Amino acid sequence: MTDLHKITIAEARTKLRKKEITSVELTESCISAVEESKALNAYCVKTPELAREQAKKADELLSKGNAPDMCGIPLGIKDLFCTKNINSQAASKILTDFKPEYESTVTSRLWDQGAIMLGKLNMDEFAMGSSNETSVYGPAVNPWQRDGSDKKLTAGGSSGGSASAVAADLCLAATGTDTGGSIRQPAAFTGIVGVKPTYGRVSRWGIIAFASSLDQAGPMTKTVKDSAIFLNAISGHDDKDSTSAPFEVPNFEAAITGDIRGKKIGIPKEYRLDGMPDEIEKLWKNGADMLRDAGAEIVDVSLPHTKYALPAYYVLAPAEASSNLARYDGVRYGHRATLRSGEGIDEMYARTRSEGFGDEVKRRVMVGAYVLSAGFYDAYYRRAQRVRTLIKKDFDDVYSLGVDAILTPATPSAAFGLGEMKNEDPIKMYLNDVFTVTVNLAGLPGVSVPAGLSSEGLPLGLQLIGRPWEEGEMLNVASILENGAEFNLKPNKWW
Amino acid sequence: MEVDVEGIEPLTSVSPMALPRRTDAVTDGDQIKKILKNAPDSREGFFAVPKVME
Repeated sequence: MTDLHKITIAEARTKLRKKEITSVELTESCISAVEESKALNAYCVKTPELAREQAKKADELLSKGNAPDMCGIPLGIKDLFCTKNINSQAASKILTDFKPEYESTVTSRLWDQGAIMLGKLNMDEFAMGSSNETSVYGPAVNPWQRDGSDKKLTAGGSSGGSASAVAADLCLAATGTDTGGSIRQPAAFTGIVGVKPTYGRVSRWGIIAFASSLDQAGPMTKTVKDSAIFLNAISGHDDKDSTSAPFEVPNFEAAITGDIRGKKIGIPKEYRLDGMPDEIEKLWKNGADMLRDAGAEIVDVSLPHTKYALPAYYVLAPAEASSNLARYDGVRYGHRATLRSGEGIDEMYARTRSEGFGDEVKRRVMVGAYVLSAGFYDAYYRRAQRVRTLIKKDFDDVYSLGVDAILTPATPSAAFGLGEMKNEDPIKMYLNDVFTVTVNLAGLPGVSVPAGLSSEGLPLGLQLIGRPWEEGEMLNVASILENGAEFNLKPNKWW
Repeated sequence: MEVDVEGIEPLTSVSPMALPRRTDAVTDGDQIKKILKNAPDSREGFFAVPKVME
């Protein structure tokens, strides 16, 4: 069987246990697919030897019986995760050749359960971007193309490499991280499933920080069921992350019953944007119809502060980023600028950061430093935090009416062409996150599910926003969209 | 100002959870080699930087 890399986690789990395949075979199939995928630029580091070694061990573990669900499953890991002795650069020049001496909690849980690492995945620099174009490695490319065109399209961002790799079957699933939409937007652009868990569900320890009060890691997979399996494997309290919640983790896979009768699904009127393309409007309506047909009650809801979410986010996230990124100064790790004669430590800091960070990162560090500065703190940072309270309260109010989940589009458009936004105002790029960013501000779980194709033949996604800690129920509703949309399409292989 | 935030508390954490505390004790250490491994310049067990003179 040469197409083993195309199967899902759930299928592989069954086949591995029935001894129809071995993890070694599955891993080799993935390694070959990765080798052929240079044009997609999804992987920035490949670890085939490590993968082969891990696969052998996984087969041993499987032969003993009772192996964990993720045992023997080949994965791609976003470059934001620290992986021991393997380059972890957040796709930035400033972390050139950084090889951590430790493993992130998420990845160590995966390896402990027998999962396999194929390599590190491309992303926007420090997860700042929506097109993967800020990466020091150059952009990951979307395996999807417009009908009748060979123009290269963005895989979205910041988890663009993860999205590209999963959509092109270069791994069975991948890790992503989501600060404002960085899992859900690329998932929507590439026709895969991406989950941002409730803030605190997954440990952030060992994940290179962008905006700590918003960052959350999650799975990017081919199916909703796979996301449930993957999420179970990485969730749960971690002493090393003080914001990780000390809650029991329910069985998310078991929550996917396909029964949503009597569930209340909210449609927020504020998400109907002026100038929204008809096909997005139609996709959204179709999604609501599918859920209604499955027995859910569709109700109109209001999230009145939605339009302030993006401005508040672009104060809060850069503020946290400017603080988090202060550590990159050329002293402890990564790039250090070469000094000219007569230059001292101040020049070393300045030149190191000037050479090491890309333009988008610099923009956000400067915005962040500005909104945190003594004279402007109350007017910008403090005010944005108060707006955040109002945005969270919007959701609290809707959920207190008995709404079980909220349905919205995942993105305002399908994937755009690489380079198309180059001369645009950066704010136009930020608009990609308009439907997703509220979820991070409120700390809620969200999932993007492929739900149809655009007029140009590109995938479009719908987003479900769940109640806090109710990822299982959210994924159950998502499974109805997945089945109803019958989205089992794959991109034509051109790479 | 378009949004009225009068009397609204700033949100600093989405989870209504007090920061967990632990005993103030050493839990880790003796890892000088590992800590210095990625340093662009280190000498005698320390990070090294250009000379600072005031």
